[in-house]
Amino acid sequence: MTSQTASLAGGEKPALDMKQVAFWVVAGGIWLLPLIWIDPTIYMVLTVAGVAMGMLLFLTAVGLTIIFGLMDVLNLAHGAFFAWGAYVGFTILGALNGLGWVETGTLAQSILSVAISLAVALVVGGLWGLVVERLIISKIYGDHLKQILITVGASMIMAEIIKVIWGPNQEVMLVPAAFTGSYDIADVVINKFRVAAIVVGAAVYTGVMAVLLKTKLGIIIRAGVENREVVQALGYNITRIFTGVFAAGAALAAVGGSMWGIFREQINPAMGEENLIFALIVVIIGGMGSVTGSFLSAMMVGLAFNYVAFLMPKLALGVNILIMAIILLIRPWGLLGKE
Amino acid sequence: MDASNQTLTPVESQRLAFERGRYTRPTFLVQLALVAILIACPLMFQSFRVMDVVVKIMIFAVAVASYDIIIGYTGIISFAHGMFFGLGAYAVGLVAYYSGSPHYYHILLGLLLAVAMAMVLAVVIAFFSLRVKAIFFAMMTLAVAEFAHILGYQWSSLTMGEDGVSFKMPGIMNVNWADGTILGIPLNGRLVTYYVILVISVLLFIGIVRFVRSPVGRVLKSIRDNEQRATALGYRIFRYRMLSTVFGSTIAAICGGLFAMWLNYVNPDTVLGIPLMLNILLMVIVGGLGTIYGGIVGAAFINIAETWLPDLQKVASKLFPGNEVMQRLTERWVLYFGILYVLVVLFFPKGVMGSLRDMATRRKAQAMRRD
Repeated sequence: MTSQTASLAGGEKPALDMKQVAFWVVAGGIWLLPLIWIDPTIYMVLTVAGVAMGMLLFLTAVGLTIIFGLMDVLNLAHGAFFAWGAYVGFTILGALNGLGWVETGTLAQSILSVAISLAVALVVGGLWGLVVERLIISKIYGDHLKQILITVGASMIMAEIIKVIWGPNQEVMLVPAAFTGSYDIADVVINKFRVAAIVVGAAVYTGVMAVLLKTKLGIIIRAGVENREVVQALGYNITRIFTGVFAAGAALAAVGGSMWGIFREQINPAMGEENLIFALIVVIIGGMGSVTGSFLSAMMVGLAFNYVAFLMPKLALGVNILIMAIILLIRPWGLLGKE
Repeated sequence: MDASNQTLTPVESQRLAFERGRYTRPTFLVQLALVAILIACPLMFQSFRVMDVVVKIMIFAVAVASYDIIIGYTGIISFAHGMFFGLGAYAVGLVAYYSGSPHYYHILLGLLLAVAMAMVLAVVIAFFSLRVKAIFFAMMTLAVAEFAHILGYQWSSLTMGEDGVSFKMPGIMNVNWADGTILGIPLNGRLVTYYVILVISVLLFIGIVRFVRSPVGRVLKSIRDNEQRATALGYRIFRYRMLSTVFGSTIAAICGGLFAMWLNYVNPDTVLGIPLMLNILLMVIVGGLGTIYGGIVGAAFINIAETWLPDLQKVASKLFPGNEVMQRLTERWVLYFGILYVLVVLFFPKGVMGSLRDMATRRKAQAMRRD
């Protein structure tokens, strides 16, 4: 509402801009604040690590926020899609390693093996999303309580199937040869896979934003978020769009899981649950339903985690909760959320 | 008679009728019978396993009923109920552990500490997340609960981390205390603890039932059913929701304390983990949301299944020797809980007690039509 009136009445615009400028100045100040205690070189290392972690968090959270934004479904099975992605990636990398592509092999083979495992994870995640949406979630639209309960059930089932297929123990994820080790630019040590994570994360963000902002499908989706009935009345099959969006969200979660698995170099059946919590925190901070909000908050959480882990290792695990509490105190609806 | 009826409002006369029939109605007799069975249980079955299951059913029935206040009566989904349970368990466990050789007042102190901490924490969580949307509460509590789980592991200077805390109970509640037999039953620490837990759980359960039947409970129901109307009638929904979550969470903490008293041991996975929370959730769904008594049904069903389902595994390894997939399928009994979850929510959303109540009202309506 406020942004509408502001754009209609030109006189109010400068005030709004000042507010935004103030926001960015404060945000930048907080970002640079750790420099007081941290040596600039180490600060750069931590910043790159933080951005990479932020990108991975964003990959995990983006599906959740899209599904919530469009379908008003709080999908607690998101972590299970994530874990499935990781396990599928694990299997594919293992198979490709049999061809000599992963642990030994050229740069092209390394990139290709990651790309293939991500693609397969994407497909498997999408299929799972399709099945879960059609079989379960489509039956109970509009009922938050039931949605939460039933997605919890679905995630239990999916996590248990992982244990049936791959066993309940922790597995070591292979890291393609070209992504092990690190670059050294003027004493700033950058882990190679982090660069890959940043590239994939940025690509997904750009891709999602491009689809949402530039395509007709994106217009329909955004319109559906605003007003479901009108979109339906205009003759678009919202059910099919819902199914598609849910599958896409699940697929993105699976990609995130695959990337996360390579990043951490290990996977276990409980990883979905843990990362669901991260994703929820990111989505709460960013504002539910906002892709850019999730992106910003993922960066925030990733960077803060790395700085704090360096300065006060004990506090690192609590820093997400702390940020969430602060943001919720100032803006209870999140950074870019509505209401 | 006529004159007095005229002065009574319909609600008052209804309440009067309820009061008059209180001690003769069948549900009251069922309640009495239930308590009698619980009292007689250690006398009838002298196996530790049965007693263990019955204690767990009692504790979880109360925990689930207190959760039902939040989820069924107020319509808020909290994922922190397991955390409050764990908070209570750790409060009792740690006080008893650090006291060296605990006295009775240490246990009481632990329980009081549990109540105080649960209240403060519940108020803080409610303040942060209940202001915007009820769905926020679900996400927020999930995050906080997971954080508490991590804390249980990481704060090892206090909680002993993964190893957990084992402690001794004081005096006649100690496992090693024994003093002859009564009615042919060996009188020992376990038996005393059993009855202590029985008394406290029954009292808590009565308290919960009184709470939901009180005017506050009715306001909570009205908020669940029609938030706008309740606001329009002048109720401050935020305060009522907060009250409901604080009340439920506090009782959960006491339940956790009882659980610790029974096990004499707490560790992060058994009392703080997400699986515990999921179990409570499943119990409340199976029993029926918004029925309170469903908690007993749900707790009994899940606890009995949990105790005897793992035996299935042994059967399977005998039936299909060498078949690994079959063995893994039977080993993963949580899988069947998950399937049960989905099926109950989809096809049996009112749960056992809810469906029974529906049947009862339908029968009553039919009888009235026949008249």
